[in-house]
Amino acid sequence: MALPNSGIIIPRRSIAGMEGMWAKMWDPPKESPGTPELLTPTNPVPAFMESLGLGDVKVPNTVQLALTEGITITGWNGAPLVIMAVGDQDMDASKGGTYPGTILRVPRGVIFHAETQGKTSPPHTIHWHGIEPTPMNDGVGHTSMEIGKYTYQLQPNFIGSYFYHCHRNTVQHFEMGLFGFLIIEPPDAYANPLTAGGYPRRTAASLAAFPQFPGFVAGDLASGDPHAYTVPYDYEALWVCDDMDSYWHNQIGLEARAWYPAILNRPGVDDQFWHGHFHDFNPDNWFITGVVVPNAPGVLGTIPPNVVVPPGLNGGVTGMQVSVNAQRGKTILVRALCASYNSMRVTFPVDVVIIAWDGRALGVPPLARYSHAYRVPAGTPIRYSVARRIDALIRTDTAVNAFATVEFFDTRGENVPGRERIVKTARIPFVIN
Amino acid sequence: MKRRDFIKYGVSGLATLVVGSKMPWLMANPAYAAVQTQTLNFTITDAVKEMVTHEPGNNLATCYFWIYKSNAPNFPADCPGPQIYTTVGDTINISITNDLDEDHAFFIPGMYNSGPIAPGATVTGTFRVTRAGSYLYYDNLNAPVNRVMGLHGAFIVMPANLRGTRARGGNRLTPYSLPTPNVQQLFNDFGRAAWWPGLAWEQGDAAATPPTLPFRQYVWLLHQASPVLFEEVGNFTPGADYPAAAFMDAFIGETDRPGLPPLIATNTDPRMAFPLPFGPGIAINNAFNKKPHFFTICGQSGHFSHNHPAITPMLRVGEPCLARVMNAGLWTHSMHLHGNHFFIACVNGRVQSNLLWVDTFTSKSMDIYDMVIPFMRPPDVPNTRGIGRADPGLPAGLGATWPPQQEFAMYQPATGTFKQSFLNPLVNVDIHQRQSPLVYAMHDHTEPSQTAQGGNYNCGSISGITIIGDRNTPGWKDFPRDEDFDMMLTFGNGAPVTKPGGGNDPPLV
Ligand SMILES: [Cu+2]
Ligand SMILES: [Cu+2]
Repeated sequence: MALPNSGIIIPRRSIAGMEGMWAKMWDPPKESPGTPELLTPTNPVPAFMESLGLGDVKVPNTVQLALTEGITITGWNGAPLVIMAVGDQDMDASKGGTYPGTILRVPRGVIFHAETQGKTSPPHTIHWHGIEPTPMNDGVGHTSMEIGKYTYQLQPNFIGSYFYHCHRNTVQHFEMGLFGFLIIEPPDAYANPLTAGGYPRRTAASLAAFPQFPGFVAGDLASGDPHAYTVPYDYEALWVCDDMDSYWHNQIGLEARAWYPAILNRPGVDDQFWHGHFHDFNPDNWFITGVVVPNAPGVLGTIPPNVVVPPGLNGGVTGMQVSVNAQRGKTILVRALCASYNSMRVTFPVDVVIIAWDGRALGVPPLARYSHAYRVPAGTPIRYSVARRIDALIRTDTAVNAFATVEFFDTRGENVPGRERIVKTARIPFVIN
Repeated sequence: MKRRDFIKYGVSGLATLVVGSKMPWLMANPAYAAVQTQTLNFTITDAVKEMVTHEPGNNLATCYFWIYKSNAPNFPADCPGPQIYTTVGDTINISITNDLDEDHAFFIPGMYNSGPIAPGATVTGTFRVTRAGSYLYYDNLNAPVNRVMGLHGAFIVMPANLRGTRARGGNRLTPYSLPTPNVQQLFNDFGRAAWWPGLAWEQGDAAATPPTLPFRQYVWLLHQASPVLFEEVGNFTPGADYPAAAFMDAFIGETDRPGLPPLIATNTDPRMAFPLPFGPGIAINNAFNKKPHFFTICGQSGHFSHNHPAITPMLRVGEPCLARVMNAGLWTHSMHLHGNHFFIACVNGRVQSNLLWVDTFTSKSMDIYDMVIPFMRPPDVPNTRGIGRADPGLPAGLGATWPPQQEFAMYQPATGTFKQSFLNPLVNVDIHQRQSPLVYAMHDHTEPSQTAQGGNYNCGSISGITIIGDRNTPGWKDFPRDEDFDMMLTFGNGAPVTKPGGGNDPPLV
């Protein structure tokens, strides 16, 4: 490195006191502690799924998550892509791990337990993105620990759309596929076993200004009414928009220590890294909720019609869609997560009302009284970046036979004049009869 | 080291300039090391900065930058330039000297434009600050090269009316000259409404340890640095501008399409051993490529931003704060906060009328947004209060889950877990960390920025929030703090002789 003409060297200044934290942050050791403030779990969903014959529950009211690796899926060109995967060990459809991971549906207010373990040598964690528990249950290695084995405990208190993912070296493990969607539902979503496994269902919203959605209840959250500030929906679709760099997946992503110091291992002393690629992400495959988007990078691809998520991967609920196929005069809820290191832009072929971002329903008093649901006209793009979620509500009396589009942007050069580029456009069939 | 041994030493923190009006609430915070001045007296020069990782031979990795250096006495040089705090109505005097060998400038959109300053020349000027908000100051010449090379910093304008609430018709102070009704309502509700107990934003607490300041605010200035490219720019023909198109090709160019510069791979790069999925083969070159390898928040990465009390808010439940997020680079970051959702109050100069309450927000190149962090009790900790909800909560007899006293007593990993010290390889350091106070991460979810030459969160674009107490739960104003945390909270990166965390000892002041 050339010396500056000025002779100014800016020193790396130390942080007082935190020597242990600095050393821990490099590579938190694998631990298996007991859960502090442990309560009795009350999540009814595992038992409901068992009652449908979808699995066998080992520990009552508890989800059994395992993180594993060495699974292969197929890219747009038929080539294999190696992934890591997470699954619920008690459920037949997901025990081996799926991409993306099984959808977890949880009623608001229950004590949720997930007994979690890594099946392979590198440690893992689960971070419940958007859920805000104590640090021990937040699943970030350097603010608590990597596991091992641990029972995460939370009490989700806001109805809406979330996801969970491994936070061990998230660069690698999130990209490799260790994540799934998480839906917080009204407290009584599983109260009636005769209706719990289907639609209509309800979600949080504040829709006094949008009378086109029947069944909205305002009321008072503090009153105990489980439907206060919720609206029913007849159809539900989930778009988990992801990209993969086949080089990462098939060459470097398998190496458990690829993101760690290259030669020696004394944090802060000789931590030089492998040079040249981990900052350099170049996806060549794209997926919508696990369905590969056809065609080469840069070439428009359309996923098939009538793709659905089976109940074994959706909390026992039958009918979750990916490609939309609905009836006129019914309410459709689309949940769309950007799980891609690309940014993205979603365009609907119909008017939508955005009722929530990131698991917080707009306009619900008291805490979200500073916002309101808003209409996005057909054909107007909604642009956002990785880890953000929208909940979009749709209802139309007109038949639609069209596509929603998801355009993926390279995050290098967005908003830089002349340098913004769309690297892939995916189309999702969107049919209303 | 015991407290009595280090307390006598001087403190320097995040380099901050207060121009014009006095801001006692900021000057009082040792973490900022604020200096009061009437004139922005800057030199445009170059510097080499020690980055978060190491290179072979046990040398700290370094990066060449161009910087705005304050000429205030003993004011430390850094990239980015000093954080500048001003007040609406202030008149700012400017004197800027260009010590580099091509034209440079000092520019604040809508406020001041020096125009080209020739090598060796000094430009002086005056401007009046008219509108509250978050701004970037930067060099707008040869865009984006000069800015991305490091010639940028945060320029914060506070609203003028700091008088009592009665003078404002009962309205609390917001960060804006013209708040929207929803922004005004949010700031009015903090400390007043039943669902936001605690302090208003404009209220401090001198009795707290350390004192809670009014107008709590933080800057998260995001940037990306490429040591190879920046050195090449520094070594470019004297007097000539490095071509901006070539700079962008290297910094944000594609690697998978023909016609654009290829990845430069090193001889230890296993990409060479495989047929490339992206196209033609790439020549081996014993150097990094020219893409960014370092991702910084206020010039710091990993541990150095996450555990820096002037970058990471360390406050109590009931002490809402503002974070001003700005992106001086060319990459998009998707900044995610754990522990609390936050309100988006202002985006690119537009005070918002619909305050999205989110856990992640998008920061594209040159984007500036303000987020309000309520510092509420993390709402998904099992509880009986239900934060305005009717959840039945815990059955009687299960005790309180908040504050989490069992968790406070835990150490992860357990006490007695040793790793080699970075200061003295012959010494092992206990890496146990007490699960108190409550530490949460804030990081870019576009995770390739968590790498810094490869690597985990300890190197990347990360900060956080730390909840150090709860002013709404009697008896728990402060959560337990071990000595190492207390030293950090008190001294930040400014205490030179305290068995420092992960850096060289700066010289004693
Ligand atoms: Cu996340
Ligand atoms: Cu995170």
